[in-house]
Amino acid sequence: MDSSGHYRKLADKWIKRHRDFQEQLWASHGDAINDFINSTKNFAIGSISGLMLLSSPAANLIGPVSALTVEEQKLPVDKSAFLASDVLSVLPKEVRPLTPEEENSISQIFTRDFGFKVAHELSGIRLNRSYGYIGAEQHLARYPGDTMTTHFEDSSDSSKFYSSGMAPGLGAWGYFANSRSELTQKDIDREKYYIAVQTFLAPGFAEHTGKYITFFKFRKMLVVNPHTGRAIVVVIGDAGPAEWTGKSLGGSPEVMKYLERVDGSGRGPVLYFFIDDPEDKVPLGPIEIK
Amino acid sequence: MIKHFYSYHVEIDSLIIEIESLPIEEHEKRHLVELAESQVHNAILDSILSELITEDKRLFLKHLNSKNHEIIWKFLRSKVKDIEEKIEGVALSVKKELYRDIREIKGQS
Repeated sequence: MDSSGHYRKLADKWIKRHRDFQEQLWASHGDAINDFINSTKNFAIGSISGLMLLSSPAANLIGPVSALTVEEQKLPVDKSAFLASDVLSVLPKEVRPLTPEEENSISQIFTRDFGFKVAHELSGIRLNRSYGYIGAEQHLARYPGDTMTTHFEDSSDSSKFYSSGMAPGLGAWGYFANSRSELTQKDIDREKYYIAVQTFLAPGFAEHTGKYITFFKFRKMLVVNPHTGRAIVVVIGDAGPAEWTGKSLGGSPEVMKYLERVDGSGRGPVLYFFIDDPEDKVPLGPIEIK
Repeated sequence: MIKHFYSYHVEIDSLIIEIESLPIEEHEKRHLVELAESQVHNAILDSILSELITEDKRLFLKHLNSKNHEIIWKFLRSKVKDIEEKIEGVALSVKKELYRDIREIKGQS
């Protein structure tokens, strides 16, 4: 084996183990970690080491290392920490609807950092809020006959997400495809990376229901965990949750896992803003700042 | 290198020497050292949190964030019996695994 092979083999193995450790940490102690982060606004502000405290002592462990980047970077930098720092400096300490000024500031930060237009309002339509607690949703049936046994592309996804189960009813827009043979990658991604938002509470919804439903159906949104800077591009795939739950939106099992958010007593807030993507160029799934 | 509250109880210099002995580029060695450190760190955090009740977990995280090593140790010693030995044991177990990985790679040269 050549020297590059030595490195790659060890790095791959250790990165996988590092991820497993982190997942175990969040799975076993996520409630306490979330509570702590939610109660400590200063946790990530201006402190990359603070943000990494719970995950690892060294940032940027996962990405490929090249001689060039190492030369350029005196210190390893996790970009999402900067995003978290910027966003937390704008957000209020309590989880409440943001003011127009706060929403504008957040929109500007996201637009600048991700390189596409992000806004709390598009075409004069907005949701009831853009910052709130996220709860866990279940998988959605993508076509007639889609079950938990047919739902996953590989055993790895199945082992990670099977336990979330499938919602008894369909999403707000019905099936994603008419049949299994017509299911496209786009449909698969839409179900995988979906959120449920309170479309029915959007200002003007009752007066313009048809127009609003057309607007919300599979509308792309950016969801960000403000405490870690983790961000994911999703679509609106369902309506909910009910107001009485105290939650403002729900995330698919894949979205919740990536955002490191959990339901129940350890729940945490996220930011959710529209993406203006008329040409459908922004891919769904996890995204990093430029 | 980051100094942790457990640094006096967990040495990883020997592990670093092992990594340094690999016939790979300098930046690759640095990356592997970071990965090795992170595994030891995460395992130690997990083992500590697993010994604490929920309220104490929050307190521990608060102390950890303060980076005041004295307070962290005072807290841990009051909550977990033989905490030093437990941390050393967990770190040793992870290190053994890392050594095994390195030896395996060397054996394939």
